[in-house]
Amino acid sequence: MKRRNFLSLGAIALATAVSPTIMMAKDYRKSNLSAWEGDKSHKVADAIKELYGTADTIKEGVTLNIPKVAANGAAIPVKFSSSIKAKSVAVLQNKNPESLVAVFTVFDGTIIDNSLKMKMQESGTITVIVEGTDGKLYEDSKSLEVALGGCEG
Amino acid sequence: MKIKAKIKGDIIKVKAMAKHIMLPYKAAKAKGVEANFITNWKATIANKPVFEVSSSQFLSKNPILKYKLDNKIVGAKAGDDITMVWVDKLGKTKTETKKIK
Repeated sequence: MKRRNFLSLGAIALATAVSPTIMMAKDYRKSNLSAWEGDKSHKVADAIKELYGTADTIKEGVTLNIPKVAANGAAIPVKFSSSIKAKSVAVLQNKNPESLVAVFTVFDGTIIDNSLKMKMQESGTITVIVEGTDGKLYEDSKSLEVALGGCEG
Repeated sequence: MKIKAKIKGDIIKVKAMAKHIMLPYKAAKAKGVEANFITNWKATIANKPVFEVSSSQFLSKNPILKYKLDNKIVGAKAGDDITMVWVDKLGKTKTETKKIK
């Protein structure tokens, strides 16, 4: 890591430490591009590390709801909820070329109870990570079978 | 983009559907066109951000997102506007404003 990068990282860390209550809108594709594309984006653990700095998670407090068998891999319904006070929520999977599916920013008025539809090319595991305001990562993972792959990458 | 926002007790339920091809890299390469997908969604009520998600090519085609807001904090009334914007990889944006029911 170059010294300049290192310094700016420090500045960001300091700023977030000083003002933890201010919820800022954040485009995670811009701030953490390496988690989305390139070498570090293929494995779930690597992507989590690129996004949050660590891949250590606590497996509680998050509820992920997916079907056991998805008839159509092109539109798999994914539901998740959590009552943890959080900064962001990330959705990942382990079978597509890149791992990350979406990162939600949590605002003051956000209730973590979302659903979305995603693509998956074959049977695999979907992971939801909740980044708590305490800096810890909470995880729930579930695997599913995909009858008809819906994603050509 | 289609938006449905409804106040139910202390909760605002929002459902949004965008019309977008969400073309991933491999499929785009096979077709010989550039990959394109929605990269960022935002929602505001009374100019205050209430929702944001960064997304990848693996959301489904014509993706649907559902989310909930705590109206004790947001403080919206029926008839207020909710505005949602998405941006795709090629820089196209779409904005839609809808009244909360």
